[in-house]
Amino acid sequence: MSDIDLSPREVVPTAARGKKKPWFAYGVLALVLALGSVFVVKFLTSAIDYYCNVDEVGVKDGCDVNRNIRIQGVVENGTLDSTRQRFVVTFNGVSMPVQMSSNPTAALEECIPVVITGKVLEDADGQRSFAGKEVLVKHDNQYDAENKERVATADAEADACSQRG
Amino acid sequence: MTLLDPATSSATTGSDRRPTSTRFTRVLGFLTLAGIGWLVLFGLFLSPNDATQRNRVRILYIHVPSAWLAYLAFGVTGLSSLAYLWKRTRSLEWDRIAGASAEVGVLFMGITLVSGSLWGKISWGTYWEWDSRLTTTAFLFITYVGYLAVRDLGGTHQQRARRSAVLAVLAMIEVPLVHFSVKWWRPLHQQESVAEGEMEGLMLFSLLLGIIAFTLLYVWLVMHRQRVLALNDLVDDRGLDVALADRRKEAEG
Repeated sequence: MSDIDLSPREVVPTAARGKKKPWFAYGVLALVLALGSVFVVKFLTSAIDYYCNVDEVGVKDGCDVNRNIRIQGVVENGTLDSTRQRFVVTFNGVSMPVQMSSNPTAALEECIPVVITGKVLEDADGQRSFAGKEVLVKHDNQYDAENKERVATADAEADACSQRG
Repeated sequence: MTLLDPATSSATTGSDRRPTSTRFTRVLGFLTLAGIGWLVLFGLFLSPNDATQRNRVRILYIHVPSAWLAYLAFGVTGLSSLAYLWKRTRSLEWDRIAGASAEVGVLFMGITLVSGSLWGKISWGTYWEWDSRLTTTAFLFITYVGYLAVRDLGGTHQQRARRSAVLAVLAMIEVPLVHFSVKWWRPLHQQESVAEGEMEGLMLFSLLLGIIAFTLLYVWLVMHRQRVLALNDLVDDRGLDVALADRRKEAEG
């Protein structure tokens, strides 16, 4: 075996796969590192805006008047006006009127939870309102069939009927 | 010409002729197709609208099973990598399972991000928000894209397996971070529904059907893909074997 010439040869076609230059892989790795950095920076920058429930405004640290924050609450029934830019949000029994500076998403409705980005303003009388820039509709983790009540009613009637029989 | 001399062929890759399909994978493929058919039927037609989200809820039956599949895939990648790193179980089979699983995981994490983004637009009013769940999910996605790039950096099969296994074990830590991000921060993304008992009836059934169908799809894809990776390795090994056979012939001649 010692007389076999094991010096490298120029052409070994089937081994070419293993010899290719991995430039593409290096490029992808560089892109991944760049994107990862962007994600971390964007996440940390975004987290600078405190996320407050309506009842925490002026109470919780960071949820201050005249500071850019995000507030969470439920759009009060009957308060969404025809322009869809004025409504009232409530959380834990505390309400705050909201004036949007832009057209909100079409998904905005009454009686749904929302998250609004903007600033809490306070007038001379100490009345607070929220100057909103963007509103996002937040759906909770509860899923119910649309006609669940009607199905439940039908089931109850069927049960009552079978008991009468 | 006989490409492989049994005495010199690499013991690392496996047999010469190995199809990627077997009777088991064909049955599995049929079950997967049937499961996806049922999912389409229940997800699009038989499950009810949600009281709040109405028809928009149907994207849930793709979004959640995709996310589940990606978690599963990255978990398997991590565990297979651990098996490779542990000396008693070290085998390139584990490395190929890890690679195949990561590829499938990246594909379905991508589907999770796209379906979630579309759902976000019609439900929240925005395609993207830098909240904890979305950001950690995107971070997990690019981490495994990086893992696949590391696998392709060249070197021997063993070098590839070792460096990618170390990265996979580290990356596995991100999976619980993504999962619990909705509890540790206050995200726009909703909290858990199934574990909290906030979903029932046909909606829950359709979702579980989706998870089962996607799990079958995962197993089918990974079995085929890891066999293709084994064939790729075999081609690489053959290059070396051919060169050695040629030189042996030269020496004899």
